[in-house]
Amino acid sequence: MAFLVFLIITLFIAVTQIVIPYLVKKTVIFGVTIPEQYMNDGAIKKLKKQYAIAVALISIVLLTGYSVWSLTTEPQEEQMAIIGMLMEFGILLISLSLYIYYHGKTKQLKIQHKWVEHLKQVKVTDLSVRKEDEMLPWYIYLLPIITTLGLMSYTIFNYDILPQQIPTHWGPSGEPDAFTEKSPLSAIQHTLLLLIMQLMFLGVHVATKNSGIKLSASNLAASKNRQLTLRKYSSWFLFFVMLACTILMSFYQLTMIHPEFAAGSIKIILPFAFLFIVLAGSLIFALKVGRSDKKIEGTIDEKIMEVDEDQYWKGGMFYFNKNDPSIFVEKRFGVGWTINFANPVGYLIVFVPLIIIIIISFVMGG
Amino acid sequence: MIIRIETTSDVPIYTQLTNQIIEGIARGDIQYGESLPSVRAFAADLGVNMHTVNKSYHELEKKGIIKIVPKSGAIISPGEHVTNETNERILSVIKPIIAEALVLGVKKEEIQNMIFSIMEEMKER
Repeated sequence: MAFLVFLIITLFIAVTQIVIPYLVKKTVIFGVTIPEQYMNDGAIKKLKKQYAIAVALISIVLLTGYSVWSLTTEPQEEQMAIIGMLMEFGILLISLSLYIYYHGKTKQLKIQHKWVEHLKQVKVTDLSVRKEDEMLPWYIYLLPIITTLGLMSYTIFNYDILPQQIPTHWGPSGEPDAFTEKSPLSAIQHTLLLLIMQLMFLGVHVATKNSGIKLSASNLAASKNRQLTLRKYSSWFLFFVMLACTILMSFYQLTMIHPEFAAGSIKIILPFAFLFIVLAGSLIFALKVGRSDKKIEGTIDEKIMEVDEDQYWKGGMFYFNKNDPSIFVEKRFGVGWTINFANPVGYLIVFVPLIIIIIISFVMGG
Repeated sequence: MIIRIETTSDVPIYTQLTNQIIEGIARGDIQYGESLPSVRAFAADLGVNMHTVNKSYHELEKKGIIKIVPKSGAIISPGEHVTNETNERILSVIKPIIAEALVLGVKKEEIQNMIFSIMEEMKER
């Protein structure tokens, strides 16, 4: 079972890393802005292809090695997990190094060929674009939050029938394997963590909605379609993950209060089902967004390009722009969002809840 | 309506914004009574500082083209009738430009044609 889980997750990681150059916004190549006029240049196509082949080959070697090792020597679950994890980090690290390498190469090409020098940079927006924004309304996120509050009160009402030892960790069989002493706080700790996470999701949603809808002057239609698709499906995906987490955590909480509640097999199936649907969801999300700007041809005005924002992207990955009031902006390498590090509100929404969750976990776990 | 800002232009961004919004109204791309985006949304979409958009909105308000209503935002609502001051202000802006054109050798007829073609694009209230 552990072998299969690691195989699927690693395969997922490898495939997403391989296809990234083909799913990102089309005028950003390895984190470098390339004018629409030159993005299909032979040299650029070659770099993308080289990257994809390199990541694919390395992944195949690692995955084959892992499979052979697991199936022939039949290692313990724990060993399999550690090596599996190392393999995943390995693929991520290697693709990151390759990215950095090709980021440099692309930058060189851009300077060598003087691709931006004779072009006029134009910022563009559509005054009515906000009316076409199809993100979910924020109050829909209250539904799972209310569920969690209900679950909290239900736990407190049933405090007397809770076991003396509160489970804090569950093993692969779905049975708890670590416990802590019963107290009012430890009884609701999981629901508390869930609540903080849900509030963070709500914060992320509101911040995303208030962030800019960035259109490109050289291809208005394609960039608009991509931004609107990204916004719509991120809010759906966020809500979907939030629901899945709520169901999973509620299940564990209810099983703790009423041990007879869970039949044997569901305990094992539920976490895997959770993992599977989240992976499938992110794959669908990446494909939907990744393809949203590829089919639309713009009428290319020879003399203009979208604004070259490379100066705000440190290493092509980290966005620092204190003039931009956006809290989140579209990622440059990958599908999704990244935080505007020059806007302190972003830190508040993303890092503060994470720190609280880590602190609670440490205090309760100890 | 599409707003295009040239970042390397000598004309400041807030002036470009003001001019394009006014032209948009004159062309009928934005209707009277419609509201402009909030300062935050507009600035975020363009990736410019909020002060820049704010400055443009205040300029438009001073010219009497929009009304800034707390909570509902900036609404396109020019004054009821043209005052003498408005006429004088417009004359004082046109005059040096026409003089400049004549000095540079542009023919009077050409200037008239320019004005006519601009008028063709736009409409009266």
